[in-house]
Amino acid sequence: MAVNRRKLGVLLGVLLATAAAGSAAAASHSSTPGVTKKQIVIGGTFPYTGQAALYKTIPAAEQAYYAYVNAHGGVFHRKIKDITLDDAYDPSKTPGQTKKLVEHDHVFAIVGSLGTAPILSTWNYLNKRKIPQVLVATGDAYWGQCVRHKCPASKTAKPWTMGWQPDYPGEAKVYAKYILKNKPGAKIGVLFQNDAYGQNYLAGLKAGLGSHKNEIVDTESYNVGDSAQQIAAHLIAMRTHGADTLAIFATPQPTIFALVDRTAIGWNPLTLVNNVSANRVFELAAAGAQPGADLNGIISTTYLASATTQANLKGMKLAKKIIDATGNQALEQAFAEGDGNIVYGLASAWTFVDALHHAGKNLTRAKLMHALRNMKETHNPFVYPGMTVKTSKKRNFPMEQLKLIRWSGGKTGDWHAFGKIYTGIH
Amino acid sequence: MRNARSASVASVLVVAGVLSALPFVLSSYNLSLVAQVGIFFVAVLGLNILTGYTGQISIGHGAFMAIGGYTTAVMSRDHHTNLVVTMLMAFAICFAVGLLLGLPALRLSGAYLALATFALAVSVPLLPLKWSKFLGGRDGVEAARSVSNVWLYGAAWTASAILFALAWLILRGRVGRAFRAVRDSEIAAVASGIELPVYKTLAFGISAAYAGVAGSLFVLATNGFAAPDEFGIALSLQILIGAAVAGLGSLWGVLAGAAFVGLLPSVSGSVPVIGSQHGQDVVFGAAVVLVMLLLPGGFAGLLSQLRRLKRA
Repeated sequence: MAVNRRKLGVLLGVLLATAAAGSAAAASHSSTPGVTKKQIVIGGTFPYTGQAALYKTIPAAEQAYYAYVNAHGGVFHRKIKDITLDDAYDPSKTPGQTKKLVEHDHVFAIVGSLGTAPILSTWNYLNKRKIPQVLVATGDAYWGQCVRHKCPASKTAKPWTMGWQPDYPGEAKVYAKYILKNKPGAKIGVLFQNDAYGQNYLAGLKAGLGSHKNEIVDTESYNVGDSAQQIAAHLIAMRTHGADTLAIFATPQPTIFALVDRTAIGWNPLTLVNNVSANRVFELAAAGAQPGADLNGIISTTYLASATTQANLKGMKLAKKIIDATGNQALEQAFAEGDGNIVYGLASAWTFVDALHHAGKNLTRAKLMHALRNMKETHNPFVYPGMTVKTSKKRNFPMEQLKLIRWSGGKTGDWHAFGKIYTGIH
Repeated sequence: MRNARSASVASVLVVAGVLSALPFVLSSYNLSLVAQVGIFFVAVLGLNILTGYTGQISIGHGAFMAIGGYTTAVMSRDHHTNLVVTMLMAFAICFAVGLLLGLPALRLSGAYLALATFALAVSVPLLPLKWSKFLGGRDGVEAARSVSNVWLYGAAWTASAILFALAWLILRGRVGRAFRAVRDSEIAAVASGIELPVYKTLAFGISAAYAGVAGSLFVLATNGFAAPDEFGIALSLQILIGAAVAGLGSLWGVLAGAAFVGLLPSVSGSVPVIGSQHGQDVVFGAAVVLVMLLLPGGFAGLLSQLRRLKRA
């Protein structure tokens, strides 16, 4: 009896509420959410806690750049307010947090959200609502492949989602080229993260090796959250397979483990790490561990200016000024030690502000997307000198250039660029 | 006795009244949070039937949620099936799978059963990688349609109401008595003529079916997107925490337990100082520790203590 009444009550409530919501929806839709005369509210999700928390300087740098822009009058007199929420790199938390940003904080756009799986878990939602999900901090090829038509990752086109950094498969192809040229007949062991992120790298490496892909003698996958011991077991397995070249396609923490383990087991193969983890502070952490990792000769790539080896660049001087203005000592110290993620955050935020300028005074979501899809930034002060952030109807990957870097100088060393700039990668 | 019954009827009515009023009061976003509570209500209720009433531990209910969630996503993707129908399918499929997996529960008990279900929680979400063509692999499965917050709210709480009634019907009668007898002493239960294998597997099946419906709703709450990473071990633990906070063996505590795991992660973001950026997990963990210290019997324990005080 009681149960029936309860059920009826709920059903009745739902019916009435549906009607109410329907009429409310018809009434709204006049102006662009998150945009007023004085303010643009944007939001993003980042791993402030959990396995990938080493990335948290990225949103800090982005907010530092917006503060700098706001202090200089904003964009068309609008100040940028950036609301960032923690999703712990956990794709079951991202939808809830993104929903909060959209439906509770009424953001204009989701900008810079981090992680492949977190983006995949929210791009459906955002694209259906035509909310920009832009400059996402992940280099998967999807963000460029799925713009106009369906693609391996999606049955529908995702025109409102867009990346920024070079895509991972393209990056892996650069490593393949390097190996083929400098170590013919290599026996390659690959350590990769057991998800879309790691698999995209692996696929890119295989594609880059082409007919030489049988040079990969062992692939070992680790899971997010694995311990240093588990990573070490993978390395030992690769060495047992006779690998003399090690490719690490991992997020920062596992990379640090792998670099330390590699020295601990007394193995010294030619080592390549993906650029997500080629960040001086992470290498210093690996060198400072017990036993310290031997880093000399490790290869990676970059597309950003370096705060340590290129401190005299105009852009890096500006970066220092912006970071110093935050008064955040931890951030200042990380910047001084060469935390590339800070430069990444600044560069990505620079692109966003640039797009806001191009989108014009009467800002709408569609105008922002149009601006972002037709960029030509030859003067982004934070990217590697000579590289261009560019998009067009035919080009959906904003950054398509990479430069090889090599570690030298041991425990207090640094990444040093060498060779030509690779262009048109993806 | 009569008083107790009319009191519980009254409280059901009050809860139903509040829930049907909420859509008029709350914003769409807050409504989605309460829908989240409804989803966990179903899952915790299911686990409570197994753990609280029958005494079998499971740390693997996230696996059943995964099965239910994928059922909805795949059926919607491939056949544009009505979403309510996919929920019924999730219920049926998980019931069957639960019965099958309940068989080992006959041999294992205590910590061993817990470990076996743990293995379930770890391995099931990896199946989509094995059959990536059908189950989408790492990139997940997108349902053909996504639902509004109001739809989700209505669906979650309608399902909660129906499944609550079902649980009440099951537990008040013969089957419920048998469950409790198994929990209190298996030997005594067998001696009283209760067929242990039947009731243990049945409890597993029912509990899994509930988790399946919760999983189906869970996927709808994540915009119709099902991916392996959503159903990690953390989800199983969340349901277990919900059941512990609820207090084992009480239907009323379930509401509190579901609110705890459904709301706290979102609300804890607004806690000052450690708020939005640092420590959803810190606040959540601290709250779990506090509840366990102060209310070792969960909210069910609190309720019965209050009742005892009233009588004294």
